This record gives sequence, C-alpha cells and structure tokens, in this order.
Amino acid sequence: MKEEPVMPPATPHPSSPPGHLCRAGKTVKIAVARRILLAFSLFITAGLQYSLAAPQTYRFALVTDRQDDVMSGAEQGISEANLQGRFLDKQYTLSRYASADTGDISGRDYVAILAALPARKVLALAKAFPDHAVFNLTAKSNKLRTLCLPNLLHVIPSDKMYAGARRQWHEKHGKATILVSAWHPDFVKFAARDLNKRYKAAFNKPMDERAWAGWAAVKMTSDHLARDDDDNPAAVLTALKTGLAFDGQKGLSMYFRGNGQLRQILLVEDKSGELLGEAPVRGVAAPNDVDSLGVLSCARERQRDQRVRPPVPDGRTIPIPRR
Amino acid sequence: MKRLICGCVFGALFVLLLGQASIAATNRIFVTNERSNNVSVINGSTLEVEATINVGDRPRGIGLSPDGKELYIAASEDDAIKVVDPVSLKLLREFKAGSDPEAFAVHPNGNIYISNEDDAKATVYDPATGRQIIEIPVGLEPEGVAISPDGTQVIVTSESTNMLHVIQVPEHRIVANVLVGARPRAAVFNRAGTLAFATSEISGEVKKVDMRSYKIVAKTKIADDTAKPKDVLLSKDEQRLYVAGGRSNQVLVLDADSMELIKNIPVGKRVWGLAMSKDGERVFTTNGVSGDVSVIDTGKNVVIKTITVGKFPWGVVIDD
Repeated sequence: MKEEPVMPPATPHPSSPPGHLCRAGKTVKIAVARRILLAFSLFITAGLQYSLAAPQTYRFALVTDRQDDVMSGAEQGISEANLQGRFLDKQYTLSRYASADTGDISGRDYVAILAALPARKVLALAKAFPDHAVFNLTAKSNKLRTLCLPNLLHVIPSDKMYAGARRQWHEKHGKATILVSAWHPDFVKFAARDLNKRYKAAFNKPMDERAWAGWAAVKMTSDHLARDDDDNPAAVLTALKTGLAFDGQKGLSMYFRGNGQLRQILLVEDKSGELLGEAPVRGVAAPNDVDSLGVLSCARERQRDQRVRPPVPDGRTIPIPRR
Repeated sequence: MKRLICGCVFGALFVLLLGQASIAATNRIFVTNERSNNVSVINGSTLEVEATINVGDRPRGIGLSPDGKELYIAASEDDAIKVVDPVSLKLLREFKAGSDPEAFAVHPNGNIYISNEDDAKATVYDPATGRQIIEIPVGLEPEGVAISPDGTQVIVTSESTNMLHVIQVPEHRIVANVLVGARPRAAVFNRAGTLAFATSEISGEVKKVDMRSYKIVAKTKIADDTAKPKDVLLSKDEQRLYVAGGRSNQVLVLDADSMELIKNIPVGKRVWGLAMSKDGERVFTTNGVSGDVSVIDTGKNVVIKTITVGKFPWGVVIDD
C-alpha cells in the first residue's frame, strides 16, 4: 500500500502582491491547492510511465552440480532472448542452483526450471515443482519418459532414440563404430552453422549436445514469451506442451510428444568425432519421420489412473496434471 | 568532306545513345549458384544458358541497379558485393559489404540494403563508391530484405529472432518489429506499400501484414510439413501470391485476398528463389537440390521449361 503523501501547507502565490493577500486569501489558497494537486498527479503519472516503460523480466532457474556446457548453452539462449527482448521491452535472466539448494527456488517467480541432473534428481525436482515446466537437459533414461510426469519436458533424446538412430545407421551402412548425438559443432544445415558460429564466438569452445539442450530450453520458452506475456509458470507449461513449433536450428518444427519428449533428428559421427550424417536415416526411414527413432509410451499403471485427455486442435494429446 | 560530316553525325548520335539514362534491357535472367561459385546467364528468348560468370565465394543474393547498368552479386564468403556489367558480363569492381552479406534489395535511389547474416545487422551501401551509409542493428540471422516501391519502407526479416523489422527511409529508424512464425525468410510489398506478405520457414506460414497498423491481418499455414516456404511474390494484378515451397518441391499459388491455396505447381527440388518478368507472364524458380531453374507460365500456372544451371542455385533476377 502506497503511503498517502503529506500535503504541504498552502503558501501565498508568489505573483500576488502582499497588499492583496488578505482579501484574495481564499482564492489564493484554492489556486495553490490546485497547483499542488496538479504537481502531485503529474508525479504519479510520471511514476506510472516509468514503471510501464521498464522492461518485463522473466527469470529462469538452472539446477546443476557441474559448471559445464549446459550452463553456457543456457547463457547463450538468454543472450539471444535478450537480443529479441530489446525489440519487445522484455528481458530474461538465469540463476544457477546446486541440487542441494532447490528449496531456495520457491516463491522466486521463475517461469521455468532447467535441470542438468541425474534421472532420480530430475524426477524429484519435477515432483517438487508440479506447476512449473521442468526441462530435463541431460538424463537419457527411458524410464523417465515412461513415467509421463505432466510437467517434465525432455529436451535431450532418450536412450531408445539413440539406439534407434544407431540401428537405422547400421542397417544402411554396416557395422562401423559410430556415436550418436543430439548436436554436433560441425553441423551446418538448417542454420546450425549460424548457431555453432555464435556459440563458438561467445564461449570459445565447440557447441555440444549439452549446450544445445540448455540453449533450446531457454530459446523455446522465450520464443513463447515473446508472443504471450503471461509469465504464470502453469500457463507457460501448457503452452510449451500444446502450442510449440520450435525452430531449434535442426530443420524441423519441434514439439513435445505426449510423454514429454522433444521430437528431433539426431546426428551420427564416427569414432573420431567427424560428422557422418543424420537420423532418421534416408533409405531406412521416411525423410523427417522422427517418430521412427524410438517412441516410448506411458507406463501401464499410470495410464489406468489418468483421466481422459482433452483433444487439442492439431491432434496431439497431453496428460492432465494431477491435483 | 561528306564522309567527315556523316562520321561526325554518327559519332554524335553514338555518344548521345551512350549517354542515355538507362540502357536497353539485356533480356537475360541471372542466377547465382551458391556452391559452384558462379552465375548462370540465361537468354530470355531461347531460355538456354548462354554464359557463366565466376563471381567469388558463395554467391547468393543478386539484384540489378534501377537503371539496369549494373548487376550486383553478394559473395558472402568474400564479404563483398561484386559489380558486373550485364551486357559484357565483365566484373567492373567490388566492395566490402560487412560480415557475410547474404540477401539484399536495391532501393529505387540506387542504394543497396543488405542483410548481414552473421552480425545481426542490416547495412546500407552506396554501390557507386562502396561507402557504407549506415548500419542498423536488427535481430539474429537477418535474411530477407524487401523495399516498398516508393522506397519509404524496408523490411528485414531476422530468422532466429522471428521478426520483421520495419525500417523507415530515409531516417533509417526501425518503426515496428512484427513477430511472425518461426524462421521468417522473405517478404514482399504490394505496389501501394500498404500490405506486406512474409513467409516463415519452420512454422510453414505465409502472413499478410497491414503496413499501416503493423498487424497481421491474415495468415495461412501450409499443410505439408516438409514445405519450408521461402521467396514470395505478388502477381502483376496483385490477385495472386507465388510462394516457393522449399522441400515440398512446389510453387504454391495463393489467393492474395483470402490466402487460400489455388494451385500447387511441381518444380525442381528445394525451391527457394523466385523472380517475375515485368509483364507478369513468367516466374523463374531456383531449385537448389536439383540444380535447375523452372520457368512458369503464369497464365496457365504450369512449368514450360526446366533449365539446368550450376550447383545449388539460390537467387534469380530478370533484366527485362
């Protein structure tokens, strides 16, 4: 509650000659009071204008026990969001927490929480903050996906997707030793070149899949917030699960599956780290058929408990958060 | 004596003709080949490639001066604009044009507005002197540049920031930033400058923007998920939109009013670039992956010829 300002006592109008003060006393008092009221309302308006003109700030929390590429990736995402934010009067910040300190996250108005943690810690975090989008940036466990937690969004692919990519590649190219990754610093297609260049210039190291995941989580959220001011974390979560068409610079419009997994292509490299190609592998799967890469359905016990999901316009379904 | 007078008269006429404000159009179509580092020169009558010009590293954007005397090519790996004579096909000069110049548009006053992909900037150059006039900060990965026919407005799309930046000329101030679908690539104004149409590659959309209110007044989403729309053009009567449908390998013809699909025209693979002849009767497309150019008859909206050019054709401009 703002304090009511104290009105200063009325003073004679400076232009009134002293000889006329007594006769014109009442008029002078009204005139002065009017001026003070005008000054006061101008002051309030100026204050309002200032607060309206100040950029709207959106805060992200990143929970990680390592200072590594996930953090720099998320920072890259924040700096790109702020570049866009300059045109929209919005700004974005990132705060880092150790996994032991997640209690400090409560009540701090974060729009979303990013996690670079082992599977069981990500799960605990998602359960602790059911109304926030919790981005899983590093844990590849299949089980984490089959749990189908309503607020857990997996940016990094699942083990099953990596295995699917390997299997498709080997079907086409024989049993050569390969590595599969969600990103590669030499990937140039689909504006990957631009992202790799920017990241390298900013951090002086190649962008790997951990950095890409950190970047992607921030960028997809800021892309949404650019169009929709509502920073209520529950609203942000719903929008991410239903309305996403994210350009992660991997060439397709990305969105989350019903189990919370981000659909995406994977990249294949040889054992020396040289980029070989992409999965889904052309000739083995239909082009862009990312659903050929290992879809995990929700575990049975959970399906029994879930209420009927409402259909969303484009046919994707989402689980309803438990109350 | 008679010969001397004749010679003088001819000489004078010749000089007069040379001094004309603009030259007769060459009736050529110029196509940049991004990965063969050259430009294919197509004869507008025979529709055959009649010459190839080597133009430097990774040529993409291409355009003509208003008087038709100079052809500009952005060689992005060389960070330069190459200036070529469209008649003799000789390189006249080049000038540095900021970092990674990709696409550009030529203003009616002759200046060039360039999107610098790497730098989150648009830059304006005087091609006569190579002097940079101004740098305008825009969003990430600027690409499409469109100029209203009266020259008072320029749109620059920023692909990673998902915006159309509207720049007022000559003040060079950004007057509006319109959020559009993911990865906006190209835009086009109507003749009056009151509307603009923009394509978004990843969201697969074409949006119509009212350029007085800067509001999106209509949009259409291309159903084909693989289609990544790029260049967009208005037909001469402004009733139709031609949209390069990327990997759907088609040019989409939309009704400019309702934004509904009228026809799909199959062309080569990965169609990005479009150019329309002055009479509105032909549209030329650059098909990057198949390495060819399709010629569309806009009366029937069918391809009448496919012309093999260089590797990964990108931009196209018609001198007619």
